[in-house]
Amino acid sequence: MVDQESTPCVELKNLVKRFPGVTAVNHVDLRVKHGEVFSLLGPSGCGKTTALRVVAGLETADEGEVLIEGNVVNDIPPYRRDCNLVFQNLALFPHMTVEENIAYGLERKRVPKDQVRERVGEMLEFMRLQGMESRYPTQLSGGQQQRIALARSLVLKPKILLLDEPLASLDRKLRKDMQVELKRIQQEVGITFFYVTHDQKVSLAISDTIAVMRDGRLEQVASPEEIYDRPGTRFVADFMGVSNIFPGKVIAKDSGEIQLETKSGLRITALDNEEIRTEDVTGVCIHPERINISPPGTDSEAANRFKGRIVEMVYQGDFVEMKARLSDSKTDDAITAHLDARLSRKNRLSVGQEVIVHWDREASSTLRG
Amino acid sequence: MKSSRSGTILLSLVVVGYVFLWTPIIVLGLFSFNSSTFGVKWESLTSRWYVELFQETAIIDSVLTSLVIACVTTVVATAIGTIAGYGLYKHKFAGRRVLRMSILLPITVPYVIMAGALLVYFSSIAHVPLGYPSIIIAHISFSAPLAVFVTLGRMQRIDWSLEEASIDLGADRITTWRKVTIPLLLPAIFASAVLIFPWSFNDFTITYFVAGVGTTTLPLYLYSMLQYSLKPVLINAISLIFIITPTIGILLLSYLQREKQRVR
Repeated sequence: MVDQESTPCVELKNLVKRFPGVTAVNHVDLRVKHGEVFSLLGPSGCGKTTALRVVAGLETADEGEVLIEGNVVNDIPPYRRDCNLVFQNLALFPHMTVEENIAYGLERKRVPKDQVRERVGEMLEFMRLQGMESRYPTQLSGGQQQRIALARSLVLKPKILLLDEPLASLDRKLRKDMQVELKRIQQEVGITFFYVTHDQKVSLAISDTIAVMRDGRLEQVASPEEIYDRPGTRFVADFMGVSNIFPGKVIAKDSGEIQLETKSGLRITALDNEEIRTEDVTGVCIHPERINISPPGTDSEAANRFKGRIVEMVYQGDFVEMKARLSDSKTDDAITAHLDARLSRKNRLSVGQEVIVHWDREASSTLRG
Repeated sequence: MKSSRSGTILLSLVVVGYVFLWTPIIVLGLFSFNSSTFGVKWESLTSRWYVELFQETAIIDSVLTSLVIACVTTVVATAIGTIAGYGLYKHKFAGRRVLRMSILLPITVPYVIMAGALLVYFSSIAHVPLGYPSIIIAHISFSAPLAVFVTLGRMQRIDWSLEEASIDLGADRITTWRKVTIPLLLPAIFASAVLIFPWSFNDFTITYFVAGVGTTTLPLYLYSMLQYSLKPVLINAISLIFIITPTIGILLLSYLQREKQRVR
């Protein structure tokens, strides 16, 4: 029995994978805990899919080690590794029925026929695919195909399930449904998920741990809340969709609070991110949905208060995206705020109006890099 | 108005096309029932050539010879061509492009030159006995490239992550070939066979050179019949048979295909 507390389900030690002209994975170390959803998040071409394929065994590592449950698997061929991959395009066998697709892996393991039928039956029920047994993949909807791909891998009860952006091909509505479904499935089967995606929304929604990857290296590994609230680097902040990123330097520090002066001359109070040494701080980011914009004369206790003028308003349905230019700013940089659409109507905000822009120190977070 | 006019033009083009395609065949069919021995002038209706045809054992023998050669060629050339196509597509090695292009050579080189070269090769270098062995090897050498091309075309449209999925699900390379790759290539394999069989069956030039004495395929027999026979009109009858047989085959195939689509 493996000691589940101390042995990670999957561990990459100093992993390097090079392709001609590019180092896709550049000295990456990471540990995926048992039973968690670990997502590797990054823009396309950052090496996340390569890392996943190295774990699956479809690519070989140039340096470093891949461990599954504490055992080095570098030399084990993919068909003997205890992990399965759900492909981006699903890769369902078009010449086989749903049932044959799901049974494929069990048959390769020489599981007796009656057991194969039983386990496939259970899986079909679990995935709510009963009655589809004898159909061909192309006759099914996108969501159903998705579930078959999952079923085909999960029926083998792998130690870890690798998922390569399986939701990318779905439309937005279906993607949201499948995201919830994925989380349900993961919780019920209790299998560790290693999820690769470029979609920060999906990864925030389903992950226990997120690792943000950039140019073959890990930028930050943390919980979704931490990644979103306190992005470590400018890259992470930008990638997580924080639109207000201001370079600047620390001018004062006091019990968990930090004072920065931005290049544009603004003085911003932010929460001190303990992960970053003060001398490494190169800027600050402010979450747009945590910024308030009020008519002049409004009382505010917020640590950051600036006078400004609205320069742009874009209605987005559930919120209004507003850009305001702060009068203290020496440059033309505008600050973006996401305001509740009803609130903005109530306050009769409009383009050109003088306003007060204010936010708590918790809404801003220091950055390095 | 405009659309109906372009419709008329299109329709007349189609009619012209099919008239060109079918008239010789129809004329040939009609003349095979002509009682004149030399078949130039119409005399009267007869079915006697068909009766005579089946009494002519040399014809039957040549058909059998051709069938054997075409069957062996189809199986071997399709297998070689499919495997070669797979290798040329999947494996990256130096000189792959050159090799891929050079596959075209047997198709582009004039048949007479190819045939002469093969004959020299068989008789003075490789010492392959002329007859079945030389004919079959020659046919394979010019028809395997066809299978390579058909396979390469199909390969470009195959989703190769399917092979990876198979390996990931626990199948080794050989099982993956058997269970996934070959079924995916099946349309290409089938298309290659359908192309190669008539090529081999119909080939005259190369066979003429490398056949040696005593192994007479149907095209060789027909040619000699035209030259020396007292009843050249027999050729009309036999031609009609060989036009009708594949036609029935094609119709049957398209019917089966439609049935299969309906079942799906």
